[in-house]
Amino acid sequence: MGTSAAGNRLCVISEEGGEIRRLGKRFRKLDLDGSGSLSVDDFMSLPELQQNPLVRRIIDIFDTDGNGEIDFIEFIRGVSQFSIRGNQQQKLNFAFRVYDVDKDGFISNGELFQVLKAMVGSNLQDAALQQAVDKTILSADRDGDGRISFHEFCTVVDLVVSHQHGHTQLGPLVQKVLVLNKTHQT
Amino acid sequence: MSWLTLPVDLLSKYLGLFTDVWLTLVFGFLIVPAVFGVPFGIHKYYIKILLSIFEWTTLQMELKAKEKNNQLYKHYTSGIIVKVPDSTLKQEIQDLRCSAGCLSLDPRLELADVFVFCRKALENIIDDDVTKRFSAQKLENWNLLTRSNHNFRYINLKLLALWILGVLIRYGVLLPFRVTVAVTGIFLFVVLSTVVGLIPCTKTYLSDKVHLMGYRLCVRSLTGIITYHNRENKPKNDGICVANHTTPIDGIVLANDHCYSLVGQLHGGLLGLIQRAMVKSSPHMWFERAEVKDRRLVAKRLRDHVADENKHPVLIFPEGTCVNNTSVMMFRKGSFEIGCTVYPAAIKYDPRFGDAFWNSSKFGLVGYLLRMMSSWAIVCSVWYLPPMNRKEGEDAMQFANRVKAAIAAQGGLVDLIWDAGLKRTKVKDTFKEEQQQLYSKILLGDHEYQNHPES
Repeated sequence: MGTSAAGNRLCVISEEGGEIRRLGKRFRKLDLDGSGSLSVDDFMSLPELQQNPLVRRIIDIFDTDGNGEIDFIEFIRGVSQFSIRGNQQQKLNFAFRVYDVDKDGFISNGELFQVLKAMVGSNLQDAALQQAVDKTILSADRDGDGRISFHEFCTVVDLVVSHQHGHTQLGPLVQKVLVLNKTHQT
Repeated sequence: MSWLTLPVDLLSKYLGLFTDVWLTLVFGFLIVPAVFGVPFGIHKYYIKILLSIFEWTTLQMELKAKEKNNQLYKHYTSGIIVKVPDSTLKQEIQDLRCSAGCLSLDPRLELADVFVFCRKALENIIDDDVTKRFSAQKLENWNLLTRSNHNFRYINLKLLALWILGVLIRYGVLLPFRVTVAVTGIFLFVVLSTVVGLIPCTKTYLSDKVHLMGYRLCVRSLTGIITYHNRENKPKNDGICVANHTTPIDGIVLANDHCYSLVGQLHGGLLGLIQRAMVKSSPHMWFERAEVKDRRLVAKRLRDHVADENKHPVLIFPEGTCVNNTSVMMFRKGSFEIGCTVYPAAIKYDPRFGDAFWNSSKFGLVGYLLRMMSSWAIVCSVWYLPPMNRKEGEDAMQFANRVKAAIAAQGGLVDLIWDAGLKRTKVKDTFKEEQQQLYSKILLGDHEYQNHPES
């Protein structure tokens, strides 16, 4: 494994077996009450996350079973979303899910407005923000149903993301753990 | 029954002899030299021996790990991931959009902008810059103290024997020596300081000597091996000395070399007794709890003290609380508003011989001191930096940041903007609002941003 070029990427610099162990240590450190899963409060104990306007959306994406807490498997899976072993699709999927609040597979006008409102706070008047949202949906919506599907999203965003902005590099052992868990559940 | 009393007699005779020898050693080699400021001289060899033992230990652990076909788990002090070097939000979004081929940062909404926030969030989830400063620094190699070991699986019989020997030496030999020296030191200091306070003339000269003796004894009691650099920049009587804060021992480390006036809250108990004794012979500034909240009162007393040329420089730790000596956190601007010369000092502890950081949420002061006294040694370097003054047009916060950057650069520490008080409190909402403001500017373009007032 070893190091890889920094540039614009997140890369993990440890050997294979060490990654899970490090992430495990990190997980345990974040788990302040020792409950075995991370709540929103546990994440919000990190000062740098407190200033990030999208942190609740990201926690929501990590939480695949929707119980409001992140267990270790969800944690690893969430972190490896930006894996270099994953393809473009995975990253686009992640970004799509930031906007898709109700997880119905479409970004509605209201959802886009909601997420953008979180990003700009009170610095933009609602009317101006709504205008920007309407314009974006109009230009991205190909099939005219008033909302953005994943396919339409990829078409708009693909160009920008093709230069691989932002991914972690997690080894095969992590992938093995994820696969094992999937087979265990089925 | 005489055969029963005989061993008891022998025992008491030898115990008496033992105590005599011990006291002679302690007084002859530790206390008396410390009182007169004579260096003892074996520290270099002690350090060298310890370092070679630690290297041998790591080798053994690596060999054991290889036997099991594993890598020895090393704690990289640089963290799990390589982070994108710090740049502004504007720069990052510009980079993201420009990778798609646009030349300038048009004010428009781009759905892909979320990637920047996502990546930052993920970086911070895996490895953030702030919370790791509030716990002891992790060591790469083991130093035979259980408190810093993370590789219990790779210990073999030889290492175990060495560790037991280490425990015996530290708790059986070093700790009693150190406690004796500390107790004698504090006792002598309190008595002499009070006595000197009663003598009217030549007060400053004698009190300086008494203070220096007290601090020297304290340093000896911790086996402190301190190297002072750039002594020509030592603080003078017309200013304040600021330094990074890792432990309550910081004050002792600095005061070992030069006399300062300390500032702080008046405590009760033993600490309060020492504080009151100190004040009798030298003008320290101890505040009652209620007074501490009154910032103007504190500032006025500081200003008056600094203006008096006969009084020693004031020692202040602007971080406000202890952090783990890998970084320098935000300096509070109060001490930089006084308007006098600032003499910065950088203190860097070597964690291999004993971690000096006081994690106040984990142990109290007594527990902390016991841990200190049962480590191998406290090794640190102190750099005196050239004096700094506030520049024209610079406000107190900018001046504080400039001093902080200088201290961080000298000590090899990370310079952080975050407040050390975040140990106990949450980040103010203004930080998030700042990020939101920055993004809004990008959406609208700076020109239009001014036309849209905040709702």
